[in-house]
Amino acid sequence: MTHDIEAIRRELLGRIEVSDTPRDVLRAAELRDAYSSLGSLAAEERGAFGKSLNELKNALEAAIEAREASLEDADVEAIDVTAPWDVNSTRPALLPTSAGSKHPLTTELEVVVDIFTRMGFEAIESRQIDDDFHMFGALNFPENHPARDGYDTFRTEEGFIPPAHTSTMQHRILKDGKAALEAGGHIAAISYGRVFRNEDVDATHEHTFYQVEGVYVSKTASLAEMLGTLRSFFEAYYGQALKIKTQPAYFPFVEPGLEFAIEKPASIGGKPGEWLEMLGCGMIHPNVLKEAGIDPTQYSGFAWGGGVERLVMLKYAIEDLRYFESGNLKFLRKFA
Amino acid sequence: MIISLNWLKKYTDIVLPVEELAERIGARLVEIESVTSLAEKYQGVVVVKVVECSDVPDSDHLSLTKIDDGGLVKDVERDAAGLVQVVCGAPNVRAGMMAAWLPPTSTVPETFGSAEPFVLGARELRGHMSNGMLASAKELDLFDDHSGIVEIDKEATPGTSFARLYELDDYLFDIENKSLTHRPDAFGVIGFAREVAAIQGLDFKTPDWLQQVAHADLAEGSVEAPKVLIDDPTLSDRFAVVVLTGANEAALSPLEMQTYLSRSGIRPISAVVDVTNYLMLLTGQPLHAYDYDAFLKVSGGVNEIHVRSARDGETLTLLDGRVLTLDGSDMVIAAGDVPVGLAGAMGGAETEVTAATTRILLECGTFDLFTLRAIQMKHGVFTEAITRLTKGVPAQVGIPTLAEAIRLMGDYAGATQASAVSEAYPGQHDNVTVSVSVAQANAILGTNHSETDMITTLSRVELSAVAEAGTITVTAPYWRHDLAISEDIIEEIGRLNGFDEITPTLPLRDFTAVRPSRFDDVRRILRDGLVRAGANEVLTYSFVHGDLMKKAGQDPVDAYRIVNSISPELQYYRQSLTPSLLNIIHANAKAGSEHFAVFELNKFHNKRHELTEEGVPREFDSLAFVVARRKKVQGAAFYEAKQYLEYLAGRLGIQLDYAPLEGDSTYPVTQPFEPLRSARVSSNGQQLGVIGEYRRSVAKGFKLPEYVAGFEIAPRVLQALADAQPAGYVPLSRYPGVERDICFKADDAVSYQSLYDATAAAAAQSGVDVRVAPLDFYQPEDKLTKNITLRISFVAQDRTLRGDEVNEFMNSISKAVTAETKGTVV
Repeated sequence: MTHDIEAIRRELLGRIEVSDTPRDVLRAAELRDAYSSLGSLAAEERGAFGKSLNELKNALEAAIEAREASLEDADVEAIDVTAPWDVNSTRPALLPTSAGSKHPLTTELEVVVDIFTRMGFEAIESRQIDDDFHMFGALNFPENHPARDGYDTFRTEEGFIPPAHTSTMQHRILKDGKAALEAGGHIAAISYGRVFRNEDVDATHEHTFYQVEGVYVSKTASLAEMLGTLRSFFEAYYGQALKIKTQPAYFPFVEPGLEFAIEKPASIGGKPGEWLEMLGCGMIHPNVLKEAGIDPTQYSGFAWGGGVERLVMLKYAIEDLRYFESGNLKFLRKFA
Repeated sequence: MIISLNWLKKYTDIVLPVEELAERIGARLVEIESVTSLAEKYQGVVVVKVVECSDVPDSDHLSLTKIDDGGLVKDVERDAAGLVQVVCGAPNVRAGMMAAWLPPTSTVPETFGSAEPFVLGARELRGHMSNGMLASAKELDLFDDHSGIVEIDKEATPGTSFARLYELDDYLFDIENKSLTHRPDAFGVIGFAREVAAIQGLDFKTPDWLQQVAHADLAEGSVEAPKVLIDDPTLSDRFAVVVLTGANEAALSPLEMQTYLSRSGIRPISAVVDVTNYLMLLTGQPLHAYDYDAFLKVSGGVNEIHVRSARDGETLTLLDGRVLTLDGSDMVIAAGDVPVGLAGAMGGAETEVTAATTRILLECGTFDLFTLRAIQMKHGVFTEAITRLTKGVPAQVGIPTLAEAIRLMGDYAGATQASAVSEAYPGQHDNVTVSVSVAQANAILGTNHSETDMITTLSRVELSAVAEAGTITVTAPYWRHDLAISEDIIEEIGRLNGFDEITPTLPLRDFTAVRPSRFDDVRRILRDGLVRAGANEVLTYSFVHGDLMKKAGQDPVDAYRIVNSISPELQYYRQSLTPSLLNIIHANAKAGSEHFAVFELNKFHNKRHELTEEGVPREFDSLAFVVARRKKVQGAAFYEAKQYLEYLAGRLGIQLDYAPLEGDSTYPVTQPFEPLRSARVSSNGQQLGVIGEYRRSVAKGFKLPEYVAGFEIAPRVLQALADAQPAGYVPLSRYPGVERDICFKADDAVSYQSLYDATAAAAAQSGVDVRVAPLDFYQPEDKLTKNITLRISFVAQDRTLRGDEVNEFMNSISKAVTAETKGTVV
């Protein structure tokens, strides 16, 4: 004898809907009978019947969980949400200011944004989900280019990308600034925010971190100006004169491309000859300018990008990157 | 990639001390991860002559030798003839040979730098004194061969330093490959040497043989080489083969070549294989040797070699034993129709060169680097060959490399060229020509180089540069396909002269001020406000587990899903921030926090909204807040969360309205909230978000303590509201005001707001300035009614209010309010 699974499903789902103890429905006789009939079926029928029984069981489980949740939420007493405090009670006090803390990453990001703003750079927050064009295409990364490997990007089902660098805003910054540039001005902006890379997490690696990207375009922008601008930022940030050095590097969206290092400042325990690699930078590739409608024979620009976590870790000698996104109050309150 | 300094020295002078050179390479070419000196490791090793050699009695393998070190080593026991006695266990030791001796007090190179370096001494073996030892390649840490002692194969007198003889007084630079992605030429020692010469300010000349790009063919070979067919010309620019006969597969390459290979991280195998590897290291062009007879057997006698895409389902056994099932994205080398190698990646097992090989088919080719890169990722092949080929080896370097291989295989393995070179060359490219103006180069770099300086700089790396009317035209040699636009030339000028030599300057710009964005301002106000109110800012991941959403009552179907997530924990974009905050409450409460508040300012995303004009998902800024106590206190947690929200609104000068969160809202943001104990928050008719306690099922799922509440609101709406706020100011009155308290008793169903509004409206009728504030809420145990006490302050701008006047106001207020709320005044 075969069972009408659909009928059993309707019957049992109906029972779950009204039961105060919905899990008991899993012990219903109909279900037991259906299971015990499995053994008596011909081998070729058994597979299909077993499969539909399984589906039935999953459907019941889901319905039970939903019913349990709604039972859980039943009998809740309503409150007067318009009142400033509860009856027979007093106005709740706020926690003492001494308990409060700002996240060290946002604190530092604010400092960085503040310095660049005062240097004349507009600050724009970076997107957290973007497309291939802004992440790669507009930045002179051809399809399948090996340089894309270095970014270990995530992707969504739809092909959107959690940006792996804040340069994902560069094309937008250039396009938005084009008019001002052509009116005799310049483009000066930073984009800051969260970026994502497909990396396993340990004390020095995170899949989620913060970057600051900078873009400057004018009639006369030069590599010398880029070095001057970056040095000037770090000198303001560390409050002391600094030595800098560079190293040739390859990034498709700049030409020439450089890694930029500063001599580790004394204020964070540096000794002469100790260098800190801070960021990647370079003169914006003409293809990137062209893509934004800016004539590379008339204008030149430089861009750079670096991480924020590193600044914070150096400043406070934080040993483990994983604290930042842990939500651990013991860590966070150290910054109260 | 490892680069040996002594190998570089064969092609360029080195004028800088090694530390300075390493620094200069770092600043002008590529990052060096480490510099290793070999000199100390080999400083004690001495070349000696084995003068006498006899068996040690009672031993089946030991020999007693007398060696001549030219009297070099001090403090060692010698016989009358000045010879030193050493016992040796190697089967190949014999009188007359030259060997490498590790004298007493020297350290075995294999153990050098290890935790337990082995220092030799003089000790007795089977009753015979043995002074130090004669060393094998393994003991010398050259390569993994312990079958016998190393035999010196160069002319040398006893007492010569082994390190000097084999150029092991060397430094090895470990190069960070990543920065040379676009420079296939620098993946060969000669190309690297060219750069090293130039950055030292020296000229360089590429060896003649490497410039012979046309092949000098045998008029007639004894063998006809296979016909080369590149089935799809996009797969390979050039592919060439040649047949060699008479190769002695057992022949070994010279020890010096072996040591250069092992220094570079490649194990010496046989003369034939060593030559292919040696030339790959030298020129960057990988070569591959097949057993030609095996090749013909596989092809069924068809004398054709194909470069083609694999067919779905074809299989291939690689040299490393792996059996691959291929598909159309793979690229193979085929003998006739049968795959014998994964192109550019690894040869096949069937045509491997073995001791039985007599005829060799030698291949050099270049392949489409995008296809190669996909193959590399798919099959996990990271050989030295594919590392180079994926950088885009130029087509022209193959023929000179092949010619040099034929020569060296002749020298070391007795092979002779038996066929003409057979090739297909569909990808011929002209050498690149690029122009750049001197002025533009100086403008971009911020330098002041003269035209002559620029030409000198460029010609050091053998770029032919000609100047005319302020413009330099550069013709690149065949190995520089990376140069395409004027910026590439500008980079060369900047880089070779040193970017660090450029004087940093600051851009000149006008005095236009930049204001921080208003949204950043508002966020700062919110952040600072909450911190001042004792809350802790947190940052949590943008990606969450599907189960976390479900626990919060949200449907993952609406969330953007990451297809290549690291773990299920990070599979979805979050649809609101609250679940992430709820997720950290339990752990912090458990860790001992009794009473705390956390908040996060961040973004969320979901698929319920249309894409932006740019075609990307909309982003929603959000502020989520949760306050929790481990132990319940008098009063609902809702009201504590509300204190925080009111505090923030006050800082921005915004008045908030609260309406019960009724009905089945399906917004992901409201899902975790219990409708009967939560409110929609709005202001001036604009929806701001939600505040409340969480559903019991949510509390259970997140193991929340009993007393928890929070809110999630849109800071961009807050900003808009704050910006729309008039800068209102009412002058202070010069007259004293009067305060009166009034207590209404009303049905429990009457909301505070309706009573307050009624009171405020009635009070406003007085025509003077009024302020109404809550004072007390009392509810008897039956919960049928409640008493609401309000304090009303009156102040007039033009007079001191009289008592009877105020009594009048109060009477009208109680009448109006009791009528409207059907309550009484207590």
